[in-house]
Amino acid sequence: MNKEEPLGKKPLSVLEKIRDNLERLNEKMEVMIELQKHGRKDAMQPLADTPLDVMTLLSMPDHLRKTAMTICRCGRATAEEISEQTTRARAVESAYLNQLVIMGYLKKQRKGRKAYFYADRETQG
Amino acid sequence: MSKIIAVHSYKGGTGKTLLSVNLATTLAKQGKKVCLFDLDFRAPSLFAILNLSNSECWLNDYLNGTCDINKVLIDMSSKVPGSCKFFVGFANPATEAIRDMSAKDRKWEMRALGRLLSLRNSLLNDNGFDYIVFDTSPGLQYSSINAIVTADFVIVATTSDRSDVDGTRRMLRELYNLFEKKTGLVINKVLDAASISKRQEMDKRIREVYQVPMLGVVPCFCDVLRAEGGLIFVRDKPDHPFTKILDEMARKIDRNEIS
Repeated sequence: MNKEEPLGKKPLSVLEKIRDNLERLNEKMEVMIELQKHGRKDAMQPLADTPLDVMTLLSMPDHLRKTAMTICRCGRATAEEISEQTTRARAVESAYLNQLVIMGYLKKQRKGRKAYFYADRETQG
Repeated sequence: MSKIIAVHSYKGGTGKTLLSVNLATTLAKQGKKVCLFDLDFRAPSLFAILNLSNSECWLNDYLNGTCDINKVLIDMSSKVPGSCKFFVGFANPATEAIRDMSAKDRKWEMRALGRLLSLRNSLLNDNGFDYIVFDTSPGLQYSSINAIVTADFVIVATTSDRSDVDGTRRMLRELYNLFEKKTGLVINKVLDAASISKRQEMDKRIREVYQVPMLGVVPCFCDVLRAEGGLIFVRDKPDHPFTKILDEMARKIDRNEIS
């Protein structure tokens, strides 16, 4: 039996899974921290797909509107790409984007290690 | 720099369409590739001003997702002097189409916003347009707010009418500020515009009441009223003071000198 087997593919995939889970946990923590900061516990209730129309944008708190408008302009983007446009920290944008996903305004899709956010205009309605 | 400009107002009759058509034409005369869109779906008027008899595809069809934007655009370059590139996307003036557009729901409006936003890629980036000008409907209509969100720069047309002044002030504070839009104000139909005291009073009012940069002041020209919408002033009256004012506005926008 090869002595190096414990360091082969299986442990590596386990480590990758742990890392991905930690990243997801981190995202959830960021959302919870932001919700605590803004006192919007009601926003944690997941909603059905809600159209991200201009009247909805108008009714949003300022910090979320900025993120939502940027994603509307970009179409589909990562938290990193949004943060480059809003000049706010990536972690902050990640929290706001995940909050918008929970609120039902955005969809999230993972591709490898990257998470892409978008307003699903075609399936909503 | 390529730009999307929306021309909007709080009340109707402030001269949005007059400004839109003449600004788009002025930019085209200055060598820019320009596209003018009629987003006033409740009272379409560009087809009458530009004498369009019929169109295979309307802007309504593009927003409904049933037609490509290239089929909507009509080449009106021959209507502008020189070798200009001037295209127009018309709103369908048929009563049935107006009724249909008035009954759209929030989800449709969300998709319409997506289609307006995608014009930046399809027209400015891929088709080499320098400017897109949106002529909108007055007030807080969905189509107008979609246009404002899409635009890089919004021209707000207003008059000295008291209800217009009050409504415009609230609209700037409660709508434009929320969207953080770059805005320029045009005061239209100004009486005694040549008077220095009137100018000073107006400058003071604009600073105090509106708190946004001024793009221009357009006096109340009898010639404009007499034309009854039958002339494109900047094309048909190149030496008219109105044309000079529009030239100056277009230059300010192109050089990004609004402050």
